[in-house]
Amino acid sequence: MTRNVALTGAALLGAWLALASRAEAEDLLTPVRIGPSDAPIHLSMWAQPDYCHLASRQPIADAFDHVFREWAHDRPDVRIDVSVMPALEMHKAKLLLAAANGRMPDVASIVSYWLPLFMAGGHVQALDENWPAGDRADFIPFTIDTLSDAKGHVYGMWHGTDVRVLYYRHDLVPTPPRTWTELIDTATRISKERGMSGYLFNAGRWEAAVFDHLPMFWGQGGELVDTSGRPTFGEAPHRQRMVKVLNFLHETVRSGASPRAVLASNDYRQLSSAAIAGDVAMFLGGNWQVTELRQGLSAEQFALWDIAPIPQAEGGRPTTGSGGWVWVVFAKDPVKRKAATEFIRYVESTRNVGRIMQATGNLPVRRSVYREFAFFREDPFLRKFGQIVETARARPAVAVYPFLSEQLQIAIGAAVDGRKTPEDAVDDAFRAASTRYAELSKPAPPRSGADPIAALPWLVAAVLLVISLRALGPARNALAPWLLPALLLVALFFAYPITELLRLAFTDLTTHGAPYRYTPDSLKSVALDPEFRGMLGVTAVFVSACVILQMAVGLGLALLLDGARRRGMRGTLLARTTVVAAWVVPGVLVGVLWRILLVENRSGILNYALSLFGLGPFPFLSSSGVALAAAIVANVWWGSAFSMILQYAGLLRIPDELHEAADLEGLFGWRRLRLVTLPQIAPFLGLNLALITIATLNTFDLILPLTGGGPARATEVVALAMYRAAFYNLEAGRASAIATVMLTINLALAFVALRIWRRSNPDAAQ
Amino acid sequence: MRTRGHFRFGFGLALAAAAFVSPLLWLLSLSLKTGPAVYEYPPRIVPAAPSLANYAFVLAKTQVPYYLANSAKVAALATLLTLAIALPAAFVLSRERFPGRGSLIQALMLVQLVSPLILLVPIYGVVSALGLLDSHAGLILVYASVQLPLTVSVLRTFCDAMPRELFEAASLDGATRFGMLWRVALPLLGPGLGSAAIFNLAAYWAEFSLSLVLLDSQEYFTVPVGLFNLQSGYETEWQIVAAAALIALAPVLAAFVALQRYFVAGLTAGAVKG
Repeated sequence: MTRNVALTGAALLGAWLALASRAEAEDLLTPVRIGPSDAPIHLSMWAQPDYCHLASRQPIADAFDHVFREWAHDRPDVRIDVSVMPALEMHKAKLLLAAANGRMPDVASIVSYWLPLFMAGGHVQALDENWPAGDRADFIPFTIDTLSDAKGHVYGMWHGTDVRVLYYRHDLVPTPPRTWTELIDTATRISKERGMSGYLFNAGRWEAAVFDHLPMFWGQGGELVDTSGRPTFGEAPHRQRMVKVLNFLHETVRSGASPRAVLASNDYRQLSSAAIAGDVAMFLGGNWQVTELRQGLSAEQFALWDIAPIPQAEGGRPTTGSGGWVWVVFAKDPVKRKAATEFIRYVESTRNVGRIMQATGNLPVRRSVYREFAFFREDPFLRKFGQIVETARARPAVAVYPFLSEQLQIAIGAAVDGRKTPEDAVDDAFRAASTRYAELSKPAPPRSGADPIAALPWLVAAVLLVISLRALGPARNALAPWLLPALLLVALFFAYPITELLRLAFTDLTTHGAPYRYTPDSLKSVALDPEFRGMLGVTAVFVSACVILQMAVGLGLALLLDGARRRGMRGTLLARTTVVAAWVVPGVLVGVLWRILLVENRSGILNYALSLFGLGPFPFLSSSGVALAAAIVANVWWGSAFSMILQYAGLLRIPDELHEAADLEGLFGWRRLRLVTLPQIAPFLGLNLALITIATLNTFDLILPLTGGGPARATEVVALAMYRAAFYNLEAGRASAIATVMLTINLALAFVALRIWRRSNPDAAQ
Repeated sequence: MRTRGHFRFGFGLALAAAAFVSPLLWLLSLSLKTGPAVYEYPPRIVPAAPSLANYAFVLAKTQVPYYLANSAKVAALATLLTLAIALPAAFVLSRERFPGRGSLIQALMLVQLVSPLILLVPIYGVVSALGLLDSHAGLILVYASVQLPLTVSVLRTFCDAMPRELFEAASLDGATRFGMLWRVALPLLGPGLGSAAIFNLAAYWAEFSLSLVLLDSQEYFTVPVGLFNLQSGYETEWQIVAAAALIALAPVLAAFVALQRYFVAGLTAGAVKG
């Protein structure tokens, strides 16, 4: 039997390993490598998912496939290892951490406004040495100026750019709205008359919800930060301008111009898919979405769509937002630096970038591309984008921007949802942004040599290790080798980290390890932060609802299975397998799966199923209360099997005589459950309760892909906040303070579980 | 055998099974759709023109096959390491009597109940200090420490169940402690090791937060991090994600269906008996 297990396991493993490492023999382009594996020059590259040969949109993947293959053919001396990084802030956090550890890639795509962060550390290398001035002159000037230092060295090469515009169907909207009032009037009329969405936009919790709407703020003369980088959007006159934007966004949903689902829109694809489904008349999208519409719609339907500048407040000036990813080179070695620069010049050459931009639908920043590719001269959409890009602005290149954006994402969510007035939402965001700015601009404390307190956690771990070894008693020398590896691991990954956590909670350390001081500020700011108290509330609701429902569903399932087993019914094993199968799905996949089930447009399966019963549509992920409920349902679907197994194990221990006695007494239903079954499995229930509570409290892998913590902060549980603080915002001190709160709760529950365990196993603990 | 409630139980079980399996069926349906069918209205449960194109795309054009190989490697090696460290500890804790035994067992139980997620920041520091960031070795070491306490508990339960007489006989024959573990206990521990191995493999296959934080290079990514990345871009092709998710799920589901008896046994042994 044992051999069978081993053989089955080995066979499965072998099969998957074989499948995974299939046929990469001498292919010059694989998903992880460009060029021959034995090339003398070896580069590592962190690319973006939509700007390399692994793009999930076929035309983009094909374009890069050609370009990279030709490069590999021309340059057999170079091998490039490819990593596709997650979009936006996580990529930046990973880069900063890599910089702190000296493990930066040789070449990478970054967002242009991150450049100051990497120039400060001296990590980015100048390109001009390997990039002639004549070629640089072909680029639109702002792409060179923004990336140059005072001495004229250039540190990045622009990929191409984008703009945000208003998409509209001219059969429904004959003249595109120029003001917000016109927009709301038109959209409300269409949604009433046609039963479709009048106007869609991104208001989910992500960067685009802010960046798409900054043009509405800029158009009134608003400024997020002043010339020194200090946030100004909450001060007169800018505050009133931001309030007006939020007011307008709130009004779109209140008036019925837009559905509440905009609150869950955290993917541009949601906008274009609604357009392809014929479900929307206008949306605020990006230039690259023309390609999606062209590919998804028939020619006649596509001909109904047109673009216009983003509508502005009364008297506002038209403007838009332009993003920009750029190539940078981090390689310090001159040979690698030269090869890396040559590679990006090859990708961005007129011929290649023309092909790539036709596939991505983005706007080239090389003038020669517009001359040499008829597509960019003649396509009517590209001509219009070309005019609109003249009015564009980029994100402010300041260190506080990502934090500021996060605060404004929350503000937009809260204002659209109606949970805060626009005034309060702006004031709260501004207060948080200003505090953060003050922290960032504090002079760095001097690094004061060795820190004796930092040795304390190591000391504690060592002392605990020694105590454990002494506890082995007289036979210590004989027993120590048997237990030492286990004890060492526990010391290294539990005893030390727990003490270190308490130390870090009293510092203002950043995750990428700048100098730090000891200060109670992190703990104090967590304790006094009303947002943190909100998260504790969300966590309390999430955990208690999940635990109660999981216990109840688990008990119900266990009773069903036990009843069926005692009746000798067939299919019991099949039913058990099905239920437990849900539990082996990894948490991230559960989040992904439920996000797919809960899609809010018409093609979402759950909303469609409910509509068959005349219910819904429900704003599953866009309304704060419903989103939390959705996360709870997903978690219960996932976790009920665990409590079922434990409770079933308890039921198996109830002797048959007891069941027979209960049958004779005529005890059935609730009375039997209360008088016979529950008392018998009480210890199992208690332990189950403690274990599930701990597990649910300390998980975010389901919530991160499902809602990302949004809308606003409606599903941001404490565990997710801790992770974000540590590895998005890189505030290790604050994250440790949050983790300390979690640890306290965890330990309290663990002691409860231990007590129950000791009471039901009195013999085991001697 | 009484027939009372036969129908009710059958109906209840069928309903429960349907509730748990239907989300996975929708994932399957979506993964077989291409182009406009993904967004069609009304949505079809059975695709009009099912196609394996998404699967072909995932296997040929994405890094998902590498994630699978990475996850298989990390889970297998971490499981071996966990068992290798846990087995001697469990054997001694079960067989020997010494003054601190009860406290050690309880300390391990306590450690088992503290979530590694809470310790993410200091664990990142330890791995960084060991120079093992962005490597499988670092991840495997951390994984082994995470599942170690539970594995010791499970194996100890199985050791406790072995008849004492066998060891007494072996000790009369002059067997060393190692000899007893190797020749007497190990042949009997098959089901225990099997349960613990399966339980660990499943846990390592699903682990997300540690690998998210400890790995940077895509060539090292495990399945959960890779799939999370696949859906975190500006625009997500859900049918591709669905196909990738099912490819990632297939080995666990297959292994689980084949070996679920051991799986459930290991879980209850570790969590209930202590």
